[in-house]
Formats: sequence, structure tokens, C-alpha cells
Amino acid sequence: MAGFKSGNKGMDGFSRRRVLQLGAGVASATFIPGLGTIGWAYADDKPAMGTWPAGSQGDTVYIGAAVPLTGAYASSGEDERKGMELAVEHMNTNHELMKKIAPKVDKGVLGKKVALLSADSAAKPNQAVQAEQTFINQNKIILMTGSTSSAVAVALNKFAQREKILYVAAISGSNDTTGKDCVRYGFRQNFYGQTAAAAIGPVLIKQFGKNRKAAFMTPDYTYGHTVTKSVNDYLKENAGWEMVTNQVSPLGTQDFSQYLTNIANSGAEFLINVNWGRDAVLSSQQAKQFGILPKMKLVIPYQIPFLAKEVGPDITEGVFAATDFWWTLEDKYPLAKMFVDAFQKKYGYRPEWGAENGYISFAHWARMVSEAGSFYPPDVIKQYEKGETIPSLVGDVHYRPEDHQCVRPVIIVRGKAKKDMKNDEDFWEVLEVVPGEGLMQAPDAFGCKLGDYT
Amino acid sequence: MLRQRPLLVEILTAVALIAAPFVLPYLGFTPTTINRILIWGLLGIGFDLLFGYTGLLSFGQSAFFGTGGMFAAYLLTQTSLENTIVAVILGAIVAGVVGYLVGLIALRRTGIYFAMITVAIAEVFFFVEFNPLSEYTGGENGLPGVPAPNLELGFTTIQFDSNWSMYVFFAFWYFVGLVIALRIVRSPVGLLLRAIRDNPLRAEALGHNIHGYKLAVFVIAAVYTGFAGGLLGMLQGFMPPDAFMFDTSGEIVMQTAIGGAGTLFGPLLGAAAWLYLSDFFQTTLHLGATWKLVLGIVFVLLVCFLRRGLVGAIVDLYRLATRRKDGAEKTGPTPAPVSVVSPSPAPVMARTVAAAAERNSGGGKSGQILQATGLTKRYGGVIANSDIDFTVDHGEMRGIIGPNGAGKSTFFKMLTCEVPPTSGKIVFEGRDITSMGVNEVCQLGLTKSYQINQLFERLTVRENLAIAALGELRGKFKLDLFRSLSGVPGLDEQVNRTASLVNLTARLHTPVSELAYGEKRRLEVGLALATSPSLLLLDEPLAGMSPQERVETVALLKSIARGRTMIIIDHDMDSLFELVEKVTVLQEGSVLVEGTPDEIKTNAKVQEAYLGGVHGEMA
Amino acid sequence: MVNWANFISQCFNGLVLGALLALISSGLTIIYGTLGVLNLAHGAMFMLGGYAGWLAYTYSGSFIVALIAGSLFVMLVGVVTERLIIRHFYSRPPEDQLLVTFGLGIVFVEAVRFFFGSLSKTTPPPALFQGITNLGFMFYPTYRLAALGIVAIALLALYFVLYKTRIGMIVRAGIEDSVMVDSLGIDVYKVFMLVFGIGAMAAGFAGIVNAPVVSIAPDVGEAILVQTFVVVVIGGVGSFPGAIIGGLIAGEIISITSMFNPAYSYVMLFIAMTLVLVLRPHGLLGTAGRE
Repeated sequence: MAGFKSGNKGMDGFSRRRVLQLGAGVASATFIPGLGTIGWAYADDKPAMGTWPAGSQGDTVYIGAAVPLTGAYASSGEDERKGMELAVEHMNTNHELMKKIAPKVDKGVLGKKVALLSADSAAKPNQAVQAEQTFINQNKIILMTGSTSSAVAVALNKFAQREKILYVAAISGSNDTTGKDCVRYGFRQNFYGQTAAAAIGPVLIKQFGKNRKAAFMTPDYTYGHTVTKSVNDYLKENAGWEMVTNQVSPLGTQDFSQYLTNIANSGAEFLINVNWGRDAVLSSQQAKQFGILPKMKLVIPYQIPFLAKEVGPDITEGVFAATDFWWTLEDKYPLAKMFVDAFQKKYGYRPEWGAENGYISFAHWARMVSEAGSFYPPDVIKQYEKGETIPSLVGDVHYRPEDHQCVRPVIIVRGKAKKDMKNDEDFWEVLEVVPGEGLMQAPDAFGCKLGDYT
Repeated sequence: MLRQRPLLVEILTAVALIAAPFVLPYLGFTPTTINRILIWGLLGIGFDLLFGYTGLLSFGQSAFFGTGGMFAAYLLTQTSLENTIVAVILGAIVAGVVGYLVGLIALRRTGIYFAMITVAIAEVFFFVEFNPLSEYTGGENGLPGVPAPNLELGFTTIQFDSNWSMYVFFAFWYFVGLVIALRIVRSPVGLLLRAIRDNPLRAEALGHNIHGYKLAVFVIAAVYTGFAGGLLGMLQGFMPPDAFMFDTSGEIVMQTAIGGAGTLFGPLLGAAAWLYLSDFFQTTLHLGATWKLVLGIVFVLLVCFLRRGLVGAIVDLYRLATRRKDGAEKTGPTPAPVSVVSPSPAPVMARTVAAAAERNSGGGKSGQILQATGLTKRYGGVIANSDIDFTVDHGEMRGIIGPNGAGKSTFFKMLTCEVPPTSGKIVFEGRDITSMGVNEVCQLGLTKSYQINQLFERLTVRENLAIAALGELRGKFKLDLFRSLSGVPGLDEQVNRTASLVNLTARLHTPVSELAYGEKRRLEVGLALATSPSLLLLDEPLAGMSPQERVETVALLKSIARGRTMIIIDHDMDSLFELVEKVTVLQEGSVLVEGTPDEIKTNAKVQEAYLGGVHGEMA
Repeated sequence: MVNWANFISQCFNGLVLGALLALISSGLTIIYGTLGVLNLAHGAMFMLGGYAGWLAYTYSGSFIVALIAGSLFVMLVGVVTERLIIRHFYSRPPEDQLLVTFGLGIVFVEAVRFFFGSLSKTTPPPALFQGITNLGFMFYPTYRLAALGIVAIALLALYFVLYKTRIGMIVRAGIEDSVMVDSLGIDVYKVFMLVFGIGAMAAGFAGIVNAPVVSIAPDVGEAILVQTFVVVVIGGVGSFPGAIIGGLIAGEIISITSMFNPAYSYVMLFIAMTLVLVLRPHGLLGTAGRE
């Protein structure tokens, strides 16, 4: 609501508040065009909130995406945006794939065309929030998305809760996004640190046995430390692996020689690289230069889109990684095949998992909205919270009502040798599709408190 | 124009702030964009004081933006404090304290060095926020959950939780920030900041502790920046870690440059243009990733062609329009140089006021005012001065001559403590000043006019003289930020007196850059005079003057000499011998001979020293 | 857990990093010393070098060609930039020079992104230097050893230009006393143009040499620029030997600190800079002249 909310100490707060509210309301409603957040109650049980109902009164509803188009994460951001763009196109054209995931979609959602707006976040939380605020004001968006790092996801989570506009996370690997920083208005489809560690751990133990020595490379921020801890705890407790060194490097490091020197001298057999984005590309390339690869086995617990394309199969050969999606899953899942085909046809390359997550998050949202039969945010949230089993590109999934995390499988892949590649994007072979149910922590283990509906 | 109607700017700003929500949305500005513009504008006010007024280009404002914002956000999200205004003010204070500490290091250097050091220090802040302090700052996730602004009134709490009510809150603080900045700009400190920008060395030589003022304005800018950081957290309910990033510093620099530095409003206008264009390129033109390239090109073009930013362009346009109107009415050329028109009244007027200036001079005293013993200066292997003994009595007029390279200027620089002597001792009015700073010596009453004009080019004659007079009237350092210039007792009187003394009364409101050479020369002497020195050193006051100007200046010097002690270096010996009672001749860094003008003229050694190339000067 | 093999290895890392920083910084410092312009687009020159080298390599398949063509290209960019833009800024306040070079830096980075996208590009090291060398106490990437040699040769060449040629004399004289050069009756503008080109080329050359080590992306120059500032402040603005010593010191500080706690290596670097400023305000080899 516009205007001023009276504190609980107030005694004559009411009349004062009414006056101020009226003042602000009149000022804005009368003279100011393009106001998003001010609206008068239309129905008693559904008061105006956020961009509702203004955002869904026209013939088009808007989705605002703040994705990095410049800066170190630009390539992943562009990939995400394409996945989203494709999803929106499919919603408006009743594409077969979209109909399979969200059957009630009919040339749009609830009779409205869907349009995607995107702006550059440069992977910075501040710029992402700024972009979304502009979309809210100008287009009254009813859904927000975008992130290639958890910093942006967490920021937009909190922003979503404040503005009462739904947010579906794009790439975000931190446990916090649906853990301690979870919100009622935020949802995440993709896998994260905890599930990645729990999925890749057994595979490593199965392949390599007990009591091995591992060196970790950790980017020095919360996400990195969380993932390192998850993976190390699992390997230590279940198979007695030893962390012989943990090389912590600042975000944006270019030259990893100092860290790699320490690792080369550590006697490790495995290099578990938790770095993300360009840091992961550079550290893996340089590990090869230092002869650490292939002497040690490289493990990437949380796979980075385009990693293989950037570093080449020389480096990714034999590498173990956990990921959300890899295009060869098309052999196993018909929906995945439809997606990969449609994407490749439109954009000329096979999608990475950022695009997959963007597509499926939107498709799920379209399903929830069309099933709920309403754009009213609490209705949509409650539809998600029913926890119904719904299709995805990697089999059936559902959203946990307690923390809004999608319970979905984690894909374990191993890098192919160059000679085994069937085409120039055939970098990974899928080793295992680990069902999500057993990987997840108890819903309250990371301190999630969802907050209010209104 | 600020001076004439002091409240006009404030009133116009208030009107504009009230009108903005009714006008700007029609131009395509969204309310949150307007709120952001206000935050950048507020941050920009502080930055403009630092950069536009004082000339200190800092690329490290992100450190204070982040510190102030994070501290306020921490208080509001992690402690029981709920009063947002208290939190933001505390954040600003912490930013100020941090600014003081950073300033101690960064202000050791100026110019390019200063810019590079601020970049480096800001990087450390980013790192510290990101890692060691991540428990308090949320590391890469920042601090979410910052409440919207509120105002506790005791009986009720007003919440500013919609875009436009937040606008009210931000606009109020922007206005407060602007009013304070305007007071600072119009205060003596404000004038001194501009003096530092134009010519820091001369400002120091006129008795001001410029390091102190620089540190002060650095802290003020940090406080503004920290305050704006706190507001940012409240605007978006989230304090982002990227506030600490280099991009923050870069953006404020670019916005100020686009808007126009040294105007206080430039940053606001620059922020408006910047945010509007970045929205426009992305959401209207759908440029995608190319938006930054286009914005970068626009920026480079602006820097190349709009030298003084948007505000400068508006002012120029306005002047162009009004001048065209005036031009039709006025037929005559711009006012003729005053020096030509009124050469004669100067000495007359000077004589009448000179008496008033005697209070600080050596009139009543006798004996030695200055005593230098064994003064030696070496630059590497080169000896500029060696073992000079030199004394001057109260009320004396002393001339110093010597061929080029005799070490006259170095000698003067040592006397005014601009350069420390390698060995030797200088006693002024009974005090050992050998190791003092140039501003302290000026405060004691010893100052110099320079061989090459050292003026404040972008300021008016009046402001120039005021800067000099303020040194004597306020001491070397005083933070009277809220006192208006006209409130300094005795300032107008002293400025007017000095102006008439050097015959520049008619040119008081003219910028120095528009003065004729002779006028600049007189102002150069005037600057030294306005400090009311008891001992005045004049380094080649006649250099570069036409014969006519020389005659006038000699008359001027004669008139101001009454009751003062002066030491004059010049090559024009005829004029010099006419002025002074005693002459010291330097040669190859040492004293050759001392005596009355008549003695010197006939001295064989002097003749010999000047034989050859420079002989003509003796004639 | 200080172990000597590791310590020596880290010193070696520091040397390689330091040499690279020295080369980039000496470009920055001679431009500043001669022209009085602090080139904030210097990081972008480093990046441009990397891309030009990569492009030349892609077409020719020869690292030598990449090295020569790439550095000549960056020199050309430098010369053109000076002629078209920087030249008009000599008479303007230093702040304007910073602003325009800052803006140019953004334009270069985003233009490269526009043409080549954001995915990083790798130039492989020449066949001769591929693989790993056993130094006895450690295994070290052969190319990094070679890079140390190449950078050392480049620094020697720069030394030769600065100290043994007429243009070098003018440059050094200009650093000592900019007024003096004006009175020598030299076409100052021609010299300035050349110096800007040489300075840019030093950064571009470093960018090419570094490309096989650190694959290139449009913003690869940003982080380097800040480190270069620190090097120049430590060594003394305008001092070529200062840039070399500063570069080596910076490289060693970063490497050796990382043995104990890698996260603090950059903080240590900035602490070192602060110490230098307190003890020797003009840098280790700087003079009071230029500010």
C-alpha cells in the first residue's frame, strides 16, 4: 500500500494515517502516470499487493529477467536468457513441449500473452535489483528471474518478498537460497551445493574407494566455503577421505600459480575444484599447465556452463562433475529431446544447464498460474506448495512446500576424451541420474523460514 | 550569482524537488529511478565538494559508500535498533571516521598519485567486506532485510514504504545535504577549497594549512557518501556488497563529469542522464549487452566536447542567449583595461590607505627583523647558495641583485621556508623559523610575491584578495563551515583596502583569467600585501612589464613601502636603486658585496660580475 | 608448514608474475612520465593485446606472428588514440585526462565483447614451450619459464630504447623536466605519439605473452590495472627502474603471502604500498618532480 503504516505505539494513528494515505494516494493516482505499487482494493479477500492486479489487467503480462550480459558471467547469462526467451515463445505459441509441462497454457497464460523483458545485471546484486525495480515501475512485471550467482539470487529473493512479486531463481548454487535466505515468494528449480555434494560423493567413493587424498580449491566467499564443506564432510565421514590442502582464492583471481604450486606439493590424488565461472575455467586450465592434471583427478562438484567449451576436452577428459542438465539426456527423456531440438534450431547450439533451468522454471510457473487460475500471488504460491508431482525435462519432480526447493535429480557426468566425442558439443557422458529425494537435507536443516503470504 | 540572492538557490531547489514527482514521470522516469537519482545526487554533493571544489579526484568513494551503508544496514538488521534515521546517521559518522583514517594516508600525495592510492585502498575495503567481515556484512550476499525508512515521533511511527513516500524522505535529506553544502561553499572554508583547487602552493604560502582543509573536505565527502550508502540500503531493502566495488567509484566520477563538476547540482543531473540512458538503451532500444558500449561512447564524446558537463552547457547556453540580447543594446567593447585609464590616482589613494596598514608593520620597532646565518642550499651536487649571512632591519627597503643563476630565487625560497636549507639558520622577529612550514611563516608575517604569477586563475580579484586576507584574519586552520564570507569581521575592509592599494578596485569582480598582464602583476603583489606582512619579499615585481607599467609599479611600491620592511629582487637596477636604501649583490650563490645604491654602482667587483652578457642591465 | 621446496617455488611464481607486472607498469609509467597522462585504459591495452594476438594466431598458427602482429596492432591503437583523442587533452586539467581514458577503457572492453563475445579465448603456447620442465626442486610449466625469458627480453629492449636511443633520451629528459624538452626544439607531439604507442605496446605485448597462461576475456585487464597502480606507486611514478623493482616486489608479496594464507595476498600488497608511501612518499625510486 501506499502511504504510511502506523506503529503499534500509535494512539491517534488512524486518522493521521488516513489523511497521509489519502494525500499520497491522491497525489500519485491523480497526477502521476505509470505507478506500479499503488492500487485500491478490488475484492475484499484479495487486496491489491505488489503489481497485482495492475500487472495482469492488460492483454500482456511481463516477466522481468536481470541476467548478466556484461562482466565475467556474461556467457552464462546470455544462455539463461535464451532458455527463458524460448519458454515464453512456447507459452504464446502452444508449443508441444510447453503443453506437456503446463497443459492449460493456451496462447499465453490465463488468456494473456507473456512477454520477457531483460536487462543487464552484470552479476551484481545491486544492478539486478535496480533493473527489476525499473521493470516493476514501467511494466508492472508479475514474475522476476535472473542470477548466475547466489548473491543475486539472495538479493532478488528478499526483494521479491518485499515487493510481493514472485521470483524464480536462475543459476544459484548456494544452500542459502532455499535455506536461511529462503522466502515465501521465491522458488528454485536447480540443484545446489548440498545436493551436488550428496550426489557426487557416492559416485566418487564407488569409483575410487576409501581413504584417498584430496586437494580443494575454494573461491573465498560463502558459496565456495559451503560447497567445500558439504563435499569434504561427505567424503570424510563416509569413506575417510582426507583434505590435504584447501586453497582459498579471492573472487576474480587470474593467476592461480601460487595456489597450484601449493597443491602440486601437497601429495593429493584428487583436485576438487569448487571455483565458479571464469575462476573455474582459469584454475582448471592452469592446473593442466602445472602438470597437476592429469596426474590428479579433477572433480567439479558444481558444474559450470560452457566449462568444457572454454577449456576443451583435453582438460575435461575424465573429469567428474555434478550438473543440472546435459543435452545427451535427450536419449533418456523425450521432453529433454524436444527442448534440445527446439533450442538448437533457434540458437544454433545445444543448451547448457542455465538455459534448461530458465526454460523449465518458466514452464513450471506457467503451469502453476494456469492451474491456480489466478495471477494473485498467494494463489500461485499455494499452487506450488501443493507439492504436486509435475513433469520436467529430467523426469517427474515436485516443489517442497517447506522451503520452495524443487526436488529434482542431480546428473553426474564424466568428461569424454576427444576421440570419443560424436560431435563438437559431445563433451560429457552421463554416468548417473541420482534421484533428488535422498540428496536433500531436512527442510528445516538450513534454517529456512518462508515468511508471509501477504 | 549565488551571492546576490543567497536563498534563491535553496528555494528553487525546494520547488524543483516538490515538482519532480509531478513532472518527471511524464518524461519516462520511474519513481525508483528518481529515488536512485537522489541518492547518487546526494553522494555526488560530497564528491563534488571534494573533486569539483577542491580538485581532489578520488576513485575510492566506494569504500565510504559501502562502509556507511553496511554499518547502517547491520544496525537495522542485526541489532535491535529500529530507528532508520539514527542508523543512517551512525553509518555516515563511521564512514567519516574511516574517511579520516584513509585521508591520512591518501592525502600524503596529490594529483595522479592520490587517485591511484584511493583506488587501491578501496580495493582493500572490498576485500575486507567480502571475506574477513563476511559474518557482519553477509559477504557476497550483502545484507538483505533492511527496513524502509521510518520516522519515530514518539506517539507514532511514520513508515515511508512506498516509492513516493520514500521519495519524500530522500528528497528531504537531499535538500538538507544541499543546504549544508551551499553553506560550506559560501563559507571561508569553501573559498579556501577553491583556492586549493586552483593553486595549492600559493594557498599554503598565504598562511593556510591546506592539508588540514583537504582532510576536512575528504571527511565531509566520506560522510555524505556514507549517508547515501545508508539510504541505498533502505531504498531497495537490501545492502549490496557491490556498493564496495570499483564500479561505484567509477560511476560517481562519470556522473559528476557528465553533469559538470564544481556546481553541486552536476552530479544530480549526471546521475539523471546516466540512469535514464542506461534504462533507455536497455528497455526501450533493447540493446542487450551493447548498452554499455553505447553508453561508454556517449561518455567519451561528452568528456571530449562538453568540457564543463551538462550544467556548464546550460550556463553557456543561457549566457549566449542573454548576451545576444545585451549585445544589441550595448555597442561598446568590453570595459577597457583599467590600468591604462587610471594610472595616476593609484599612488594618491594608496598613500591615504597605506597608513592604515601600518599596524602590522615594523613602524614602531627598530633593530633586526630578519637574520639569516650560514644559509646553504645544495641540490644534489649543485650548490645554489653557500654560507650566506644576511640581516635586515625593521622598516628597511632592501634590494637584491645578481646575475642570472646567482641563487636569488633559491635564497628567497629559503627565507619563506618553501625549501629547507641544507644548513644554516633563519631568525625572524626573534624566532627561529628555519624548520617551519611556509604557512606558519606567513602567519608570523613574512610573505612573498612571486616572480611568476601565482594567482587563483578561476576566481575573481576579490576572491583572490579574500583568500590572502583570510590567512591573517582566521589563522592557518579553522573549520567555520557555516559562517558566511561576509560574516568574517574585517574581511571586506581589508580586501577593499588592498584592492585600492594595488589599484584594482574597479576590477574586483573580474575573474583573474580576464585580467591584463600588468593587472595580474599588481594582484600578485596585492596577494602578498593582503596578508598584512611585517616583512614582504618581492621577487622581480617588475618582470615583463612595459616601461610605462614599470613607472607605475615603482610608484606603487614606493607608496606601500611606507612603514613596511621589504626585500626586492629585480633586474631593473635603475628602478631598484630608486626604491631601496641598501643593496645586496649575490654572485654564484654567495654574497658579493653590500652597500647603498651609490656604493654598488661604483663598486669594481659588481662591475666585473656584470661585465659580459648582462652588462646591458647596468646601463 | 613452511617447506623450502614450496618456498622456492613460490618465489619463482612471484618472479614470473612480477616480471609481467613490471612490463605492463613500465608502459604505464613512461606514458605518464613523458606525457603527464595517467592512462586508465592501460588495462584495456593489455586485453587488446591478448585478443589481437589470439586473432593473429588463429589465422597464422604461429605464436611468433601473433606476438609481432599483436603488439604492432596495439601500438597502432595507441598511436591512433593519442593522435585523435589524447592529444586534445594535454592542455586540459588532469582530471579530464583520467575521465577520457577511463571512458576509452570501457569502450575498448565492450567493443571487444561486441565482436568476440564473452566466452574466453585461449592461445596455445608455441610447440617448443609446451609441457612441463623439471627444475629439480619442482615441476614448472615450460611456457611460464619461457614467458619469463620473453618478458625479460622485452624489458631489455625497452631499456635499450629508453637509454640508448635518441627518442629514449628525450623521453627520459621529459620525465626529469618537461619544460626542458619543449625548449629543445623537438616536435614534441611526434614524440608523445610514439611514446603513447610504445607504452600501449608494452601492455599489449604482456597481454599476448600472458594469453597462453591466463585465457583472455573482455575484462581481463581490469584487475591488472589496479595491481599496476600499486606497482607504480611502490616503484615511483615515471621511473622505469622503479616499475621493474615495484613489479618484482609486488609479485613476490602476492606469491609468498599465499603460502601462509592465500586470501590475504592482496591485502599484504596494499599494506606494502601504504608502508612505502609513509616511508618514501615518492616511491622507492621516484623523484619529487612529477605529481
